[in-house]
Order: sequence, then structure tokens, then C-alpha cells
Amino acid sequence: MTNAPPVLEIEHLTKDYRKGVRANDDITLQVGAGEVFGLLGHNGAGKTTLLNQVIGIAKPTSGTIRIDGRDAVADPVMARDACSMQPQTQAPLDGVSPREAIELMARLRGADRRRAKRRTAELIEVLDIQAWQDAKGERLSGGVQRLTAFAMAAAEPGRLVMFDEPTNDVDPVRRRMLWAEVRKLADQGCAVVLVTHNVVEAERAVDRLAILDHGRVVDQGTPSQLRGDHANKLRFEVTCTSAGAAAGLAERFTGIEPAVSTGRRMMVPIWADDCPAALTWAQDEQRAGNVDEFSFTPVSLEDIYIRLVGPEGNGNTEEVGDEALVA
Amino acid sequence: MKHWWHSFGLLLKWNVLRLRSELPMFMVIQTLISVGIVIGFSFIIPEIDPLSALYLTTGAMTVSLITVGMVVAPQIVAQQKERGLLNYQRTMPVPRLALLAADAVVWVVSALPGLAVTLGVATARFDLDVTVSPWVIPGIVLVSAGAAGIGYGIAYVAKPVLVGVITNLVLVISLMFAPVNYPAERLPGWAQEVHEWLPFQYMAQAIRESVDVPPAGVTLLPFAVLAAWAVAGLAVTSRVMTRRV
Repeated sequence: MTNAPPVLEIEHLTKDYRKGVRANDDITLQVGAGEVFGLLGHNGAGKTTLLNQVIGIAKPTSGTIRIDGRDAVADPVMARDACSMQPQTQAPLDGVSPREAIELMARLRGADRRRAKRRTAELIEVLDIQAWQDAKGERLSGGVQRLTAFAMAAAEPGRLVMFDEPTNDVDPVRRRMLWAEVRKLADQGCAVVLVTHNVVEAERAVDRLAILDHGRVVDQGTPSQLRGDHANKLRFEVTCTSAGAAAGLAERFTGIEPAVSTGRRMMVPIWADDCPAALTWAQDEQRAGNVDEFSFTPVSLEDIYIRLVGPEGNGNTEEVGDEALVA
Repeated sequence: MKHWWHSFGLLLKWNVLRLRSELPMFMVIQTLISVGIVIGFSFIIPEIDPLSALYLTTGAMTVSLITVGMVVAPQIVAQQKERGLLNYQRTMPVPRLALLAADAVVWVVSALPGLAVTLGVATARFDLDVTVSPWVIPGIVLVSAGAAGIGYGIAYVAKPVLVGVITNLVLVISLMFAPVNYPAERLPGWAQEVHEWLPFQYMAQAIRESVDVPPAGVTLLPFAVLAAWAVAGLAVTSRVMTRRV
């Protein structure tokens, strides 16, 4: 896989909108055949803009995009032929059933009638949406519409498949089915790009990922590379009785890095050796009525992500973190 | 080109499937409007001479095609635009004009029965004697293409909330203030001049002369003008559709 040239090659890609907003800032990344690549970031981090440039509906300000070695910026028609995409926007399902829409999309992407029928039946089965296969689009729930849109992109995928938030509105059971299908596409040799802001799911589904913040790639690699020296750390997570209590505790508690609070939750990475001390502390706070429950888990990608981009995507947590560490 | 026709065929199928439950109703209403114009105007003008009757009949047919191309089609595009469906379509590997053509063809074809019924009702009502020529086919195609080209141009360029207002204005102009249902001479001079630059009178003329060929034969100018309008409208639309932001 490493010897083959990447299917998608993005170099120094910058996109400025006319109003002066920089949506993508010097992005460089590659996605190979057989690889599931995650793009993670807050709302407005520039993920969708990046996809729109690959598929040729937005034009980069500078930088290059190559699909299978061919210039996608100069030839957007080639890009759309080589690449299938599930956009974040609603699919045109009014008046047509999932079966009709998936089959038509497969045929528009070049599958012959038999192959399109077979793939459609297969996807409807693996995503477990047989019950709605002949219902008209406007009568479907948001989740089934989303799964149908996913299948429309996956039916005849081309070299590169891009999914923009495919699991929105989808129930947890079918999400797993969807992830399994994503993996299968990669195993069949597609390069898959997955946009999501669901870090927990992404960790399970992707081979490599890039974390975007304000249009910039702040880190990229495999989930374990991103974890780096956090591997022998534990995540200490405390659910407090109120958001105020969580913020208060987060200020007072210093692990390896300062604690972060979001809502009633307080999270902080600690060394495994410091676990007993943290346990005692948490039990004391629980008795004092500040804490509902707590847990210790290996540091997840979510911690890394929040550390990199901050709870509000401000990207300034590093400074805050350093100050708190000194304190 | 093969790819174009392949895409067009599949998109047409998609549209027919999509609209299968609405199309019969659409055809009926379209027919009623068209026939209604003929009957309704004949109440307004009780003593109708053969020339006025011909104008009214072919005018109703023209208005029907204008309604389809410049009102119905753009309003539906505006709805799709509002719901973000156009952004979805833009990611599809299909030629942009095939997308439009597949859309327009459904609407125009669904208006055809109405045209035939209108002609039938009008000839019976007014004792009209018409000499339909083969020119009626390019006539309908060009009037439709011109109307749809302009209609899509409006739909793609204007904000969705404005499309409804603009298309209604177009409809009122074509029905009341354009030399479609009556000869141009009845309009004030300045309005006649304005209409020389607008497509309406050429649309009416193309239909009128191909439905009832005048002694001097069918005038070709309207066909050329309509082709130009169609090309201009589609060029604008295509530009907006393929533009990368």
C-alpha cells in the first residue's frame, strides 16, 4: 500500500472566501487506496470546504489537489467521475424510494443495470433498511434518509469516496453497520475520506486522521500516533453535580495537564501511577457532594482532540495548559 | 456525447419517478388553464373576429408553454435551491445541461396534451379553420427551450424568495401586456419597441404561424430570436451551475 501512489494528494491547499474568511490554510495530506482517512474538527473548521474543492464545486485559492495523479483543480469533471460523495446536504429523495435512488445513482456513476440492482439490494440489506426500501423519500425518517444518501455514494464508489457526516441522525446499531460498510469499501481498494465531528466513532473507524482547526491541520497520523506519549496515561473523568462544580474542580485539579471541563464533566489526563491519589481525591469530593461519579480510562482520541482544538475550537488551549501546568 | 445521453436518460427517468404522482394532476391543471384562457377571453370579447380568435387560441398555447418554462420550472428549482438540493446535484458526475434538459423535458411534455386540447376546443368554439404545419414541432421546442432557458436563468441567478415574484410578473406580462393574445398594433408605440427586444411576441408568432400558416409562409425570424434567447439563458444558467465558489 505504501508503494502505490496515493489516490488523493492535497498539497499546500489554501482557500479564502471572498469575504476574507480563510476556510483552509496550507493543508497537506494524502489518502492511499485501502485507507480510511478521517477529517475531524469543530463546525466551521473547514472540513466540508476541503471536500467541496476535491469534488470541484469550490476552487482553491492556492495549492494542488491530485486524484490518482491527475490535477483535480484543472479538471473538476474528472474529479466528479473519479470520486463519489455523500454531501452533508440532503439528498434529492422526494418522490423516489431508497431503492430507486440508490440504483439510479449507481447507474449514473457508470454501473450497468444488473450490477446497480445487485449493489442496491446488498446495501439495503447490510444497512438494514429493507422495511423502507419502497417508501417515498419524503416519508422517511432523517436517519433512513441519511443511510440512503450513504448508500447512494457507496453503491458505485469510484477510486475515492467521501462521506460528510454520514452517521448524523442514524441510530447506534445502524451506525455500526455503516462503519462496517465503510471498512469494506476500503478493503475493496477505495480510498475513503470521512468527515465527522464524532471523535469516539472516528477512532474506531479510521486508519489515519487529520485534526482541523480554523482551516489548519493541527495534527495528523494514526490514532496511536496522535496519542503519542499519552499511551501510558489514563483519562480521569468526573461527572459533577453541576456545571459550576465541574468548572471549580477543573481549576483545582492538576494532572499531567490542566483539567478541562465541559458541562458537568471534568476531564484530565493523569499518569497511571497517580491513579490511587486521584481515586482518594474523587471519593472525598463525592462525599462533599460535588461529584456524582468518576472513571479512569486510557487516554482517548477525544482528549487529544479537545486538547488540540479546545472545547470551543479556539485552538488556544496550549497557552492555557502551560500556565496551568506551571501553577 | 454518449455520456450526455446516458446521463440525460437516467435523469429523465429519475424525474418521471419523482413526479409520477403529481404529473397527472399537473397535466389536468395545465389543460384547464390553457382552455380557460380561450374561453375566459371570449367572454371578455363577445363578438370575436377570426383574427382575434386565432390570436387568442395560439396565445393561450404560448402562455401555457411560458407558464411551464418560465414559472413552474424555475419555481421548482428555487425550492430545490432553498433545500440545498442543488448543492447535492453539483456533486453528481453528470453534465450540467443534461440535468436541466431532463428537468425541462418533463414539464414541456406534460404541457403538450393541454396544447392539443386547447387547439381542439378553440377551433370548435370559434369555428376556426387552421392549417397546422410541421413547423409546429420546432416551434414548440424553441418556445419551450427559450422559456426554460430564461426561466432557469432567473432561478439560478435570483434569490429563491424573489423567484416567485419575478416569475409571476413574467406571467402577467405575457398574459396581459405582451402581443401574445392580441396583435402588437394594439400596444402603445413604446411598448411595441420594448417587445421587439423581449422574447414574448416571437414565441407567440412562432406558434401562431406554425399552427395556421399565413399566405406568405412561416416567418423564420422568431425561430432565430428564440434560439438566441435559449442559448443566452442556458449559457447564464450553465455558468452559474458550473461556477466554483
